[in-house]
Amino acid sequence: MNPLRKGVSSLRQSWKKVKTAYPRLAWTMSAMVWLPTGIAFNEYFYSLKFVSGRSMQPTLNPDDSAWRDVILFDHFSINWLQKFRRGDIVALKSPHEGKLIVKRIVALPGDTIKTLPPYPDAEVRVPEGHAWVEGDEPFRSEDSNYFGPVPLGLIQSKLSVIVWPPERMGALLPPGDPNRPKPLTGPARRRERDEIDRQKRREARVTESPQPRSFQS
Amino acid sequence: MSTSRLAALAQSLASLRRADFERLGKKWGLRGLAVVNVVCAVHLFAEHVGFIHVVSGPSMLPTMSAAGEVVFENRMVSPKSLKRGDLVTYISPLDPTRVVCKRLIGLPGDIICVDPTGRLAPSTEHVVIPKGHVWFIGDNAEMSRDSRQYGPVSMGLIRGKLMAKVWPPTAAGFFRNNFVDIGVEGSEV
Repeated sequence: MNPLRKGVSSLRQSWKKVKTAYPRLAWTMSAMVWLPTGIAFNEYFYSLKFVSGRSMQPTLNPDDSAWRDVILFDHFSINWLQKFRRGDIVALKSPHEGKLIVKRIVALPGDTIKTLPPYPDAEVRVPEGHAWVEGDEPFRSEDSNYFGPVPLGLIQSKLSVIVWPPERMGALLPPGDPNRPKPLTGPARRRERDEIDRQKRREARVTESPQPRSFQS
Repeated sequence: MSTSRLAALAQSLASLRRADFERLGKKWGLRGLAVVNVVCAVHLFAEHVGFIHVVSGPSMLPTMSAAGEVVFENRMVSPKSLKRGDLVTYISPLDPTRVVCKRLIGLPGDIICVDPTGRLAPSTEHVVIPKGHVWFIGDNAEMSRDSRQYGPVSMGLIRGKLMAKVWPPTAAGFFRNNFVDIGVEGSEV
């Protein structure tokens, strides 16, 4: 009998002993074996996270909400498919501090954008491999108007679905998207109108580049 | 002989029942999942601890040749602990799908001359590297696209640090920091 086989069979024997002596511990350990798959799924496909802060109001964390929003983050379409679209809400590392922030993509490489106050130039052409990101609430947001265009490599994931609170549960579509639910009454309707207005104002500041985005290095 | 073997195989296949197929499917399904799990574990190790990679491209000559060399990348570095002279890998600011390796030569707060040769920028142009950013240059400046083109690079793009060359064996060894303190007062490297 070769030593490797001997080792494996003795391991099996002791595992059987553990199983009979401590069934609960054995169950936990055999579940932990699948941890790598779980972590990889969280990193490369989907994960659930809290979003805090007011920079994306009124889309996320509106003032009338009692909870912090729980959002499903989609890593797959950013990391693997490299799908960046204007109007998508994304999570990115802040270029100066490196902490995770949530902003909306306003312009993509080649686009020209009219900037807002803290930025020194009135108009910017977004360079190759970069994007212009802004919070929905410009006065409470440190965004591209503050630090300029950000490299696409800093963008980590896309916010795809609101999971909590229940009254705003659903896919995060850009304002004005025909698939968005149309609330008829109350604060939800006012918020919807406000979001569409903001989206229109944002879009009016962007001149889209005629060529599709290209990757060259 | 082969015909008799085939006949035996056919007979054993014919004797299999539905329950046998279910058992086989469960066994191989579990094995497939286990393989996926191991692949995930190895990938996570490579992404968070370190792994060997093949390098290519002329931008780091003569430190690394243009093709066919294998290096070990350490992923457990915090960008704040990097020093001038380190070989650092980062996601290209021009293309998020590419990882590049260059030498770090400027830290936040340093004043740096964009291109002393005056080829890509006037040789008098100097910039202050902003907070949370660093300056990268390829060892082979003629054949490199680096901070001279795209400016300071955010620390958020940094992936890791190259520690050693593993292949070819004649050139194997640790990468040494090639920066020397020339002893200017108030400076430190």
